[in-house]
Amino acid sequence: MIYISKGEVNKWLVCLGLAVFVAGLFASSAMAKVTVTYWEKWSGFEKKAMGEIVDDFNASQNEIKVKFLSVAGIDVKTKTAIAGGNPPDVVGLWSYSVVPFAMNNALIPLDDYMKEAGIKEESYISSIWDLMYAQGKVWALPSTPATMGYHYNKGMFQDAGLDPDKPPLTIAELNLYNEKLTQMDAEGNIIQMGFDPGWPGWFKYPWGWFFGGELYDAETQTITADDPNNIAAYEWINALAEKYGRTNLMSFKSGYGGFGSPTNPFLAGKLAAVLQGVWEANFIQTYASDMDWGVAAFPYGPNGKPDTTWVEADVLAIPTGAKHPDEAFEFIKYVQTQAAMEKLCLAQKKLTSLLATYNNPDFINNHPNPYIKFFFEQAMSPNAKIAPRVPIWSFYDKYMQVAFDNIIIGEVTPADALKEVTTTVQQELDKYKGMF
Amino acid sequence: MKRKARRDLRNGLLFISPWLIGISIFLVYPIFLSVYYSFTRFPLLSPPSWIGWSNYLELFQDKVFWTVLYNTLFYFSLQVPLIFIVALSAALLLNTKVRGMALFRTFFYLPSLVPIVATAILWAWVFNARYGLLNAALSIFGIKGITWLNDPAYVKPSLVLMSLWGMGEPMVIYLAALQGVPVNLYESSFLDGANWWQRIYHITIPLISPAIFFNVVRWVMGAFILFTQPYIMTGGGPGRASEFYVTYLWENAFDFLKMGYASAMAWILFIIIFAVTLVVFKFGAKKVYYEGA
Amino acid sequence: MYKEKQIIMFKEVNWWQRKYYRELIGKIPVYFLLIAGSAVFLFPLLWMVSTSLKVPTQIFVFPPQLIPRPVQWANYIEAVTEIPFARYTLNTLYLVVLSLVGTLVSNSLVAYGFSRIEWPGRDILFFVVIATLMIPFAVLMVPLYMLFRSIGWIGSFKPLWVPHCFGAAFNIFLLRQFFLTIPRDLSDAAKIDGASELRIFSTIIIPLVKPALAVVALFHFIYMWRDFLGPLVYLTDPDMFTLSLGLQQYQSVNATEWHLLMAASSMITFPIIVLFFFTQRTFIQGISLTGLKQ
Repeated sequence: MIYISKGEVNKWLVCLGLAVFVAGLFASSAMAKVTVTYWEKWSGFEKKAMGEIVDDFNASQNEIKVKFLSVAGIDVKTKTAIAGGNPPDVVGLWSYSVVPFAMNNALIPLDDYMKEAGIKEESYISSIWDLMYAQGKVWALPSTPATMGYHYNKGMFQDAGLDPDKPPLTIAELNLYNEKLTQMDAEGNIIQMGFDPGWPGWFKYPWGWFFGGELYDAETQTITADDPNNIAAYEWINALAEKYGRTNLMSFKSGYGGFGSPTNPFLAGKLAAVLQGVWEANFIQTYASDMDWGVAAFPYGPNGKPDTTWVEADVLAIPTGAKHPDEAFEFIKYVQTQAAMEKLCLAQKKLTSLLATYNNPDFINNHPNPYIKFFFEQAMSPNAKIAPRVPIWSFYDKYMQVAFDNIIIGEVTPADALKEVTTTVQQELDKYKGMF
Repeated sequence: MKRKARRDLRNGLLFISPWLIGISIFLVYPIFLSVYYSFTRFPLLSPPSWIGWSNYLELFQDKVFWTVLYNTLFYFSLQVPLIFIVALSAALLLNTKVRGMALFRTFFYLPSLVPIVATAILWAWVFNARYGLLNAALSIFGIKGITWLNDPAYVKPSLVLMSLWGMGEPMVIYLAALQGVPVNLYESSFLDGANWWQRIYHITIPLISPAIFFNVVRWVMGAFILFTQPYIMTGGGPGRASEFYVTYLWENAFDFLKMGYASAMAWILFIIIFAVTLVVFKFGAKKVYYEGA
Repeated sequence: MYKEKQIIMFKEVNWWQRKYYRELIGKIPVYFLLIAGSAVFLFPLLWMVSTSLKVPTQIFVFPPQLIPRPVQWANYIEAVTEIPFARYTLNTLYLVVLSLVGTLVSNSLVAYGFSRIEWPGRDILFFVVIATLMIPFAVLMVPLYMLFRSIGWIGSFKPLWVPHCFGAAFNIFLLRQFFLTIPRDLSDAAKIDGASELRIFSTIIIPLVKPALAVVALFHFIYMWRDFLGPLVYLTDPDMFTLSLGLQQYQSVNATEWHLLMAASSMITFPIIVLFFFTQRTFIQGISLTGLKQ
């Protein structure tokens, strides 16, 4: 018989206790949280909105902790991070990056994850869903979508003798309205304008759509920037600049304040209307809360169609080389649930990508944007466009920007400018022939 | 070789070994790599593929390439003479006997210490046509301000103007050199009846020519590699009016991911800088006067 | 009082202004130019600080007002919390310190090799050193990125400080100038006593070149503090950004928050200006070391 003293028993108990404790430590560290890094482009209130969703997700379970970071210049930073081998696990890109990134093997396809999670294409508004696709696979899922509209200042309309409930339907009408809304002072300086396509300068490429033009023919993989309808659109822009004086315009524009500030020209009453997205309401409410405003489909030109708009989205994707792709998708999956998505989009004052939300009176009626239904309908319009799905979209966009600037300055004719864009971009696109 | 000489050689090489290793890894190797890449198509996220001279051919047909070359040369030809005049004049001014001179020198020098990013952001604001400092100051004199950064005709001169604000650095170098000009030369020139301009031209400039040379070489380099200011302030706009060589290089490399194309651009830049520096050195060898040489 | 501290550099020179009348009359335009010039150079800085203390609505007014009413000190707090300012400062300091050590050690060793030892080929190689000054970072940017990428250093701090541990042409040049001024006799005497080069280097030369090292350290600090392109290329994780890079974060797509931008810019500029005030002498020494008086 082994004689064990009381003292020894105590010692053994202590050792056992320690062992259990240490084992427990190991066990919990084995179940330790996986940190998922999430880079997002937002700042300000938009960032805050997503921040709450991240907090909700982190609180809802114990395995994954999402680390939410705001990154400026996210396109370039993500590309270099992926190339450098240490990308984030989730990245919040713009929808126009999906095709270029996917074509360059920069993202992980999400089809298998979606199947497992039961996420179906049918739940989404089809025009928004189209943004997530490339080469038959899905590469991203939406966070907050946007459609565009002609936002106008009803007060300024009234002052100019226009009916505030009758926004212009066609470009011809828009030109007439602009004449009434644009005022100059005694020296010929512009005091206010009806519309400035150059503000805020994010959208220098979409004008052709309103005139019935297309930027890209997917079937033949041809760049169609010099489509006669596109040329007509930029002729219109050129005519605007010519009519009100190019130097005049330049000095008028130089007085614009920052976008998110009370000196935003639309918010400060310098521009009677702007082509902006669903987010504009939030800026109006923050900086110009007493503006009486309305929104309608942007007017269409001779060959255009009514209810033409384009759809964009902020998307969530998993970069190639992400350390925790499975956990990353868990977070993305969470954002796709109706509750989370509605909370996020409500806070950012946008519409959601889910059809269910359109039919959800709670969302529609509680939404701070009084015209939210309009933005949903725009997304579902047969004439809702999306940016060309080419692997070189940033290149195409840059050249359109340069063309636009040069047309406004009067340095080049729209036809020449667009022809040049077409040749240059086509040449670049041809390098990818056969690869997508 | 004698034992001492051999030992000295070994020691010498040992001491400079950090530099030798450094340039092999961080200079020579990248240069060869750059040459290689310039002959490939390399979209960064996929492996490079050999395409021979295509990049260079494409560059020569690239309108933007010639535009940025022109813009860079324009900037260079405007900025180098201007900053020379301004920095030298400031140095001459600050070399006079006046009370509180140390304070004035500090004031003139401070702006060149400000981090470039902060300078770019500050001057983007100063140049604002409606609310900025510059136009406000001009309006005091009744001059109507222009749209500095938004006017394609004035955006480059605006950047030159901004660079003059940071002339403190070369100015201080001139100051130091001016201190070294012997007093008796001025004395005797005065006796000979030389006026102010003649004094500067015939005495001052030749005697501070090493400093002038030093600064010119630095400005040449600086003008060709201009990046941060246009990158932050204008993004190359309006149109491509403020797109410079290195900002376009950057765009091709990290925005469009055309690494091969960017490498070709880098090589051409190297050749251009090398050629211009050679010219400056040749010119300098003739004109620079080294006292006691 | 400051006059006594002045080095030969700033000794007043001009003989022909000693005449009393000349002095008086000649000074008026000079003072005018000095004051006007100072205003031109200082005003943007004052403007920066002034804007940093304004409420956003007060920024976009014309004519612009210099004195903010009210003075919004809270902008600085907001600027520091909106972006992780403290972290960026730490990152910048981390890089500065690491690279500084590497710089001082490597450059003094290399400069010593180029100046205190005679060996064949030395001067030709030194010419190569100078020649490398002609190769700007922009030319090497892409291949260096590739190099670091192949060893997995992209997204880490290493590409920003490791290269500094191998000497830099400008510093080698600067230190060599200074080393050359130390009399041969000192090292010769030590050699006779049987000291090795390394011993001579560490015990005799280094203590004598402390002023030059101070100059190198100072210029290096300022360079690292201001560097933008380097961090832009190599740093991907926003947690690791430096101050210069972080400043860019304020320029978001939707809103350029000028008051915060100016506050952050002021905070980044301020340390350098303070540093300058305390190290003016070293600055001046550094200028003279570039050997403009051959």
